[in-house]
Amino acid sequence: MQSAVASAASRDSDVVELLRAGGRERAFALLLPRYERKVFRLCCALLRDPTQAQDAAQESLVRIWKALPGYDGRASLSSWIYTITRNRCLTAIERRRAHAALSDSELDLPSQAAEAASEHELESESEERSAQLRELIDLLPERARRTLVLFYFEQRSISEVAQQLGCPEGTVKTHLFRARAALTALLKQRGLDDPSLWLEAST
Amino acid sequence: MNSDQRLPGNSALDAALDAALARVLPPPELPAQFRTQLTAAIASEAALELTLRSARPRLEREQREQLAELEADYMQLRRRTLGTLIGGAFAAGAAVAVALPWLKATFGPNAMLVLAGIGAVVGLAIGTASWMQRLGVPRLLRRF
Repeated sequence: MQSAVASAASRDSDVVELLRAGGRERAFALLLPRYERKVFRLCCALLRDPTQAQDAAQESLVRIWKALPGYDGRASLSSWIYTITRNRCLTAIERRRAHAALSDSELDLPSQAAEAASEHELESESEERSAQLRELIDLLPERARRTLVLFYFEQRSISEVAQQLGCPEGTVKTHLFRARAALTALLKQRGLDDPSLWLEAST
Repeated sequence: MNSDQRLPGNSALDAALDAALARVLPPPELPAQFRTQLTAAIASEAALELTLRSARPRLEREQREQLAELEADYMQLRRRTLGTLIGGAFAAGAAVAVALPWLKATFGPNAMLVLAGIGAVVGLAIGTASWMQRLGVPRLLRRF
């Protein structure tokens, strides 16, 4: 992850220079196109809900804008941004848990969603396979699932995922390996381990 | 895709699964209104920040004025207390000077003892009254 951090730091040196010169607005204008998608993807992977992810990404970016003058450069700008985003997502997850504990009706939501999904007619075999794979991904342990999801969101870049999740690349590789192994086991368990099924589904 | 970023495993199933995962996990696109909403949220935060920044000198001045007022009141209270103490001491001295000949004539050699006793009783009475006031005894008595 060291090299990824170093390259991210050199990429953001212009933003840091502007910040040192007191140009918060210009620094943020430079930073936003580089990070808004990544922040949103991280929120999507952590929160699993596009609407909540959008809110969290927006709140994170507002916080980043507010805190920019206080950025001291001890961590790379990207790590700093991802830390703020992760913290915001963790707060959202905590709130969601508290809310779910208070509201019993919400406990029925997943089953309602599952029923709605089963009622929905799948248009083709390919879509059916994709739906099956998504279901299997949802069965993975949370850490493995979020690492796997981010890995594909970030065009299979392990270093980017490691930076976003704030963990070493080795840990990301371990989670990915376990996720893939678990997925393969689930496919075998359900008799879906014929590669041709997935090649067809992916075309 | 970078080859060094490929996941471990070389079987046909691994390759097919990798392709299928890439298909079912496409990077989510930013919602269309995201940038507009974000710009609006930042503009609102900036306006709030500006308001707070402009209100700050006024709030600080008001706080300084209130502190100065409190300080002045405190000084006045201390001066009054000191004045009362000095006045009380002079009054007590004058009273003793006036009453001493009569006390000596009445009580003889015990005159100084009686004077000290009177002083102690007056002091205790003032102290008790002050503590009763401080503990809110008159308020309690008014309730009954």
